[in-house]
Amino acid sequence: MDSTMSTKSKWWLSGASIPIMVWTLVPIVWIFATSLKSDAALGDQSKNTFGNFWPKSPTWANYKLIFNGGAKDLFLPALWHSIVICLSATIISVVLATFCAYAISRLDFPGKKLILTTALAVSFFPVIAMVTPLFNLWRQIGLFDTIPGLIIPYLALTLPLSIWILSAFFQQIPWEMEQAAQVDGATSWQAFRKVVAPLAAPGVFTTAIIAFFTAWNDFVFSLNLTSSNARTVPAALAFFTGASQFTQPTGAICAAAVVVTIPVVILVLLFQRRIVSGLTSGAVKG
Amino acid sequence: MFRSRPRRPSWTRAAGALTALATAGALLAGCGGSSNGRAQLTWYINPDGGGSDPTKGGQAQLAAECSTGQYKIDIQLLPNSASDQRTGLLRRLAAGDSSMDLMSIDPVYVPEFAEAGYLAPVPSSMQADFEADRVQSALDAAKWQGKLVAVPFWANTQLLWYRKSIAAKAGLNMKNPVTWDQLISAAQQTKTTIGVQAMLYEGYTVWINALVRGAGGQIVDNPGATYDSLKLGLNSQAGEDAASIISKVSSTGVGGPAMGSSDETASLNLFQGPTGGFLVNWPYTYAALKSAGVSWLNDVGATLYPRTVASDPSAPPFGGIDLAVGSKSAHVQDAYEAAKCITSPAHQAAYMVATGNPASDKSAFTDPSVEKAFPNGIAALIGQSLENAAPRPQSQYYGDISTGLQQQFSPPSSVSSQTPDKAQNFITQVLDGKALL
Amino acid sequence: MTIAADRAPKTDKPVTRKRTITDRARGERSLGWRLAGPAFVVMLFVTLYPILYAIYLSLFNYRLTDPSGRKFVFLQNYGVALTDSLFWQCFVTTFIIVIVTLAVELVLGMAIALVMNRIVMPRRTLRTVVLIPYSIITVVSAFSWLYAARVDTGFFNHWLHFLTFGGFNLDYNWFGGRWSSLTIICLSEIWKTTPFMSLLLLAGLAQIDSSMEEAAQVDGATWWQRFYKVVIPNMKAALMVAVLFRTLDAIRIYDNPYVMTAGANKTLTLSMLVANETINRVEIGMGSALAVILFVIVLIVAFIFVRGFKVDLTTTGGRN
Repeated sequence: MDSTMSTKSKWWLSGASIPIMVWTLVPIVWIFATSLKSDAALGDQSKNTFGNFWPKSPTWANYKLIFNGGAKDLFLPALWHSIVICLSATIISVVLATFCAYAISRLDFPGKKLILTTALAVSFFPVIAMVTPLFNLWRQIGLFDTIPGLIIPYLALTLPLSIWILSAFFQQIPWEMEQAAQVDGATSWQAFRKVVAPLAAPGVFTTAIIAFFTAWNDFVFSLNLTSSNARTVPAALAFFTGASQFTQPTGAICAAAVVVTIPVVILVLLFQRRIVSGLTSGAVKG
Repeated sequence: MFRSRPRRPSWTRAAGALTALATAGALLAGCGGSSNGRAQLTWYINPDGGGSDPTKGGQAQLAAECSTGQYKIDIQLLPNSASDQRTGLLRRLAAGDSSMDLMSIDPVYVPEFAEAGYLAPVPSSMQADFEADRVQSALDAAKWQGKLVAVPFWANTQLLWYRKSIAAKAGLNMKNPVTWDQLISAAQQTKTTIGVQAMLYEGYTVWINALVRGAGGQIVDNPGATYDSLKLGLNSQAGEDAASIISKVSSTGVGGPAMGSSDETASLNLFQGPTGGFLVNWPYTYAALKSAGVSWLNDVGATLYPRTVASDPSAPPFGGIDLAVGSKSAHVQDAYEAAKCITSPAHQAAYMVATGNPASDKSAFTDPSVEKAFPNGIAALIGQSLENAAPRPQSQYYGDISTGLQQQFSPPSSVSSQTPDKAQNFITQVLDGKALL
Repeated sequence: MTIAADRAPKTDKPVTRKRTITDRARGERSLGWRLAGPAFVVMLFVTLYPILYAIYLSLFNYRLTDPSGRKFVFLQNYGVALTDSLFWQCFVTTFIIVIVTLAVELVLGMAIALVMNRIVMPRRTLRTVVLIPYSIITVVSAFSWLYAARVDTGFFNHWLHFLTFGGFNLDYNWFGGRWSSLTIICLSEIWKTTPFMSLLLLAGLAQIDSSMEEAAQVDGATWWQRFYKVVIPNMKAALMVAVLFRTLDAIRIYDNPYVMTAGANKTLTLSMLVANETINRVEIGMGSALAVILFVIVLIVAFIFVRGFKVDLTTTGGRN
């Protein structure tokens, strides 16, 4: 593919990437810049430079606020809960969805329309309306404020999404190879394991990432179904305080935002290699 | 050709681990309560400057200090905004949560909780203790249908903050009571601003209520009435006076460029900035200005809240926190004992110094450590303001009334003499279930 | 239609042929449910109870703080909601946001996907950078854009002031009016969710056989012709999923306007209305009714989309 591209269009594409990256990064640099501002600099433009963007005297005070004393007990467990809960929900839903989507896109069986329609329907029930019934049920059966008590509602967010995205991916895969395997005498199950799984892996990775970020992003469930044993980061942000309860915790929120972004960016960096190689050149074109 | 390796399923293992996790979680959730005969009280606290750190002088420290051999007080932090705190508590109370031993609640929600039967009655033996030496506004706010239903803890009020040099330039004598009209023309004359809270949030209700009360009116004429007989007092001269001040602050531009989206922090920022002249805000203002390192701290003055009409004394906003005990708590007596310890005069004064949240106990305002933390007579001024302060309407429908009010008065640039009338009709319809909010 | 091809009648050995088909069909049927069943069951378990309960509650006049006053009112809540001006205002606001964000995201997402697909340098950096907003929590993104646009803490006004050589008012209050508030809300939403779009579109692009495009190029097709005639039709399924999911997600927009305006200046959305009723007002009956209405709106839009795109995900093989 690269060989067919002229040098000129290569330069064009490189040039086009600059505005894309600026658009993407400015709000992030802005969060970082804001996290370095003192309370005084947040309200006083003369203490900042570059159009009220960057503080003249950056301070780590906001990071100290979230990493020591009271805010430490708030933030660090929340980070751990977020990671455990979101990873569990992602693994469970992607595993289940892979089987399900394979069946839907490859096999002929009654009821697959029902599954897809249900997946779509339930995934778009307003999350807000699920909170109160779940809260009542969770309190009765002891799931309130537990890690499984949050994994389960997160499955409701991630599973339908995973089924749909994977079904779409699986349709784009050249199934002739599976047929070839079947002609060679393999059963459907063998064909699935030996031929389809490697073909599908890139799609599965992409789906896993999307599912993970969907769970990672949730605010409403976490705020309402947890107290302290399972509270995740987005909800914990609502519990930050400024110097007094009337002071907006602007700096602390931004500092926490930067901290929670770092592990996810690392995750993106690690996964990105697999996704990119998988999506672009891996299975399909060889 | 196949660049991606097939993934080995460690799925079964993961599923097993998760099942184990689920079981463990369920078991853990079943535990709790008391251990070794020492009761465990849970205190749901609103965030203050101390957070959950028991060494920062906040409620977390009071919890540690008031734990005894008989009970230990654990804290649970509530969200930051008053309405989120209410929601969190309400849902647990409605579900009959037995861990609701002690709650820090905004006084405006006391009627709603009391009316729903969520609050355990105050033991008659302690009533006198909880009422002793409290400022009037705090006492009023902790009562429902004439009975004390919550323990006044700390009490808040707004003051008028100003820059002495600017007031002098405008020829205002701040020793005498000032009116909003005077302030507006002073700000116009000196090209400065008046910091107010007029965003769509609870703080806007605080302002509207103070203006209406300052003109001798009331938002709810018959507090405690059920929705079918509730009478609103917005459609009155007082309501119109309030609307005309809001509209004037907005139309003259003295409310600042972003008046319609200003909360406490934004209005303080405005005051701190180059156009700052006047500000209505809570007492934390002084400490906030000091810690922001403003160079003109000596130029900062404070006085009583501005008057709505020249002839009547102002009705400064009232806020703060009451302690309440949940009716389903397994340790009601212990919880009230703890509340007594937490709200003792010494603890209130210490709390006021550490967090800047004023006491409801009168003696605190002459305490030397408090006078040091609120210098230049500000401590005494807070006490005086609290005596005059007017609570927001007492009603079990407070949430609806407040939100309806904020919506109809937003944005402040749209406020006209018809607004109070419109707000009154709208809120009545909402309470009747005929309109959405 | 691969399965259909298998079933195409062959002339020789009709009897044996018939037996193998039935066996295979039966095996496929049972394997299908064995593979799809667990996901289906879990999905029903985690969602069906709350949904049915909400539908049930929507028929009551029920305030959480007054359980004894609970009253069966049948469809009255729906009647009040659908004739309320605030409901329709929220409806309009929500759909303005959906249409604007979707249009911008589709164009922007496709552009980014095209660049990502073919770029040589800086390939990896770009792909990583583009993914970052997606990993950022919506609430955080909302705070970032809120602080950026505010008069006191922000930089927007300063930068615009500079770019317009002083023409832009430094004191412009973005959150003072409906359209300016919606602009910032949409910007935050677009920034946060365009990566989702690009990622799915990129996946679709990558599935396209580049030899087809090359053949078109040899035939003298312009870039636009290749894009329109070769690229788009070949990534229809990925496009469909991306657009559908983004639309249905955008209809339920909550976090951004909640953080930025809390519904001031007519920026209240349908989800916020549901939250106001259920969470703030604890009017569980009315809130549930609104949730069901929102749900039905979503279903209608989904139906229109699936019909409009005419891509049936359930079709075996997907290549008609």
